Amino acid sequence: MKRYILFWVSLVLMLASLFLVFVYVPTEKEMGIVQRIFYLMVPMGWLALLSFFIVFICSILYLARRRDSYDALAYSSAEVGIFATTGALIVGCLWAKPIWGVWWTWEPRLTATLVLWFIYFAYFAVRSFAGEEARGARYAAVIGIVGFVDLPIVALATTLWRGMHPGGVIFSGGLAPSMLLTLLVSLGAYTVLYVLLLVHRTSVRQDEAFINSLKARLG
Amino acid sequence: MSFLKKALAITRKDVLSELRTKEIIFSALVFTVLVIVTFNFAFSASQETTALVAPGILWVTFTFAGVLSLNRAFIPEKEENCLEGLMSSPVSREVIYVGKMLGSLLFMLIIEIIALPVFALLFNLPVFSAPLVTVTFLATVGFVAVGTLFSALAVNTKAREMVLPILFLPMVVPIIISAVKASGLALAGESWGALASWLQIIGAFDAIFLVVSFWVFAFVIEE
Amino acid sequence: MENAGYLLAAFAIIWVIFFAYLLNLLNRQRRLKKEIDALKNTLKEKTG
Repeated sequence: MKRYILFWVSLVLMLASLFLVFVYVPTEKEMGIVQRIFYLMVPMGWLALLSFFIVFICSILYLARRRDSYDALAYSSAEVGIFATTGALIVGCLWAKPIWGVWWTWEPRLTATLVLWFIYFAYFAVRSFAGEEARGARYAAVIGIVGFVDLPIVALATTLWRGMHPGGVIFSGGLAPSMLLTLLVSLGAYTVLYVLLLVHRTSVRQDEAFINSLKARLG
Repeated sequence: MSFLKKALAITRKDVLSELRTKEIIFSALVFTVLVIVTFNFAFSASQETTALVAPGILWVTFTFAGVLSLNRAFIPEKEENCLEGLMSSPVSREVIYVGKMLGSLLFMLIIEIIALPVFALLFNLPVFSAPLVTVTFLATVGFVAVGTLFSALAVNTKAREMVLPILFLPMVVPIIISAVKASGLALAGESWGALASWLQIIGAFDAIFLVVSFWVFAFVIEE
Repeated sequence: MENAGYLLAAFAIIWVIFFAYLLNLLNRQRRLKKEIDALKNTLKEKTG
């Protein structure tokens, strides 16, 4: 029953955010209609980080307690996370082209997001390369911890590297209340979506493990 | 025996065995010089462009050479099963980490000490400035801190030579960025003040990852 | 209005990705539940 509530709340919030982004919020002066991508970009970036934070916490818990549920949660969060990070990169490119004229730019946020993508990739790669499940889970947890600690330093280095980008993603006049509302609702909607996906993905992973153990018992 | 003494015993073992075969240092060194020369052909260089691309070439070279040497770090342990021997002795996992890390650090520093003058010669740049040496040393410490951890991890996987760069390179991006920027400034003769923020990033990276790798290492080599 | 294409493409792509992902998860869950029930029955029969 709990899961159905989550699904409907998520759907309602997502539709609400869509309405706010396309109908309610006023068009921004400088960038025009394309600026609305902002309401997609920030949630994607937020999810990418939130997901990895959960991976980090669950990795620590897994190494400390060795319960498979922590590993299942970490894996699932990483999977949603890599989708979100890929989404952030795609949206970043689709925003860069109209605004700056190029598909890709080595601007701090995009660059840091790309590095995050590779860290997520490493998280999965180490599981396949490790040979056995338990070792893979252990190694992935190490990546989860080291990777998360790395993130602030990556952000710092990439920001310092490029300095303040001249045509940066800062709006003249800051965020009007209507824009803030739209942003917050969007963030909330995507966060609930994250929880929904996380719950279902973890359940699938644990069911798969359970089936393997049942099959082992049947011989 | 104190912690440091035990760790240095491990380092000494690595150094002695390397002195006998010289395989890590020699191959990494030849590789380094080859890469520098190849880059020279890649960029048809005038004196101005040389100054621009030089720091990048230097650090790409050191990165690849570092991966090469780190790849070898745990292979003797794995192949001769020394690791089990080490672990069943009353030596803590952290001692193994520090010992191996110091060994890899020493090897990388030796490679860099020899490669830098070659680099200076081929690119006609002043390399023995204190800022450049400091940047190189600090960045290498960071490389090796994280690299030793992942090297131990990679040695237990299939396709170990591929695994190390895939895991390791994204993590050390901050060092590479900072080292390239700081080296560029150092080669241009800038003062310490200009390099300060980059050195701070490298320093912070070193401190954080020495601690984190130290703590997490045990989870990698438990078997 | 010129850049509306990019805006719509971005939202469309993200929604499609996440919606497809969710659908895939829900389907897998259904199939796995069926397989678990089948295996549980087999197990019950075997152990009587």
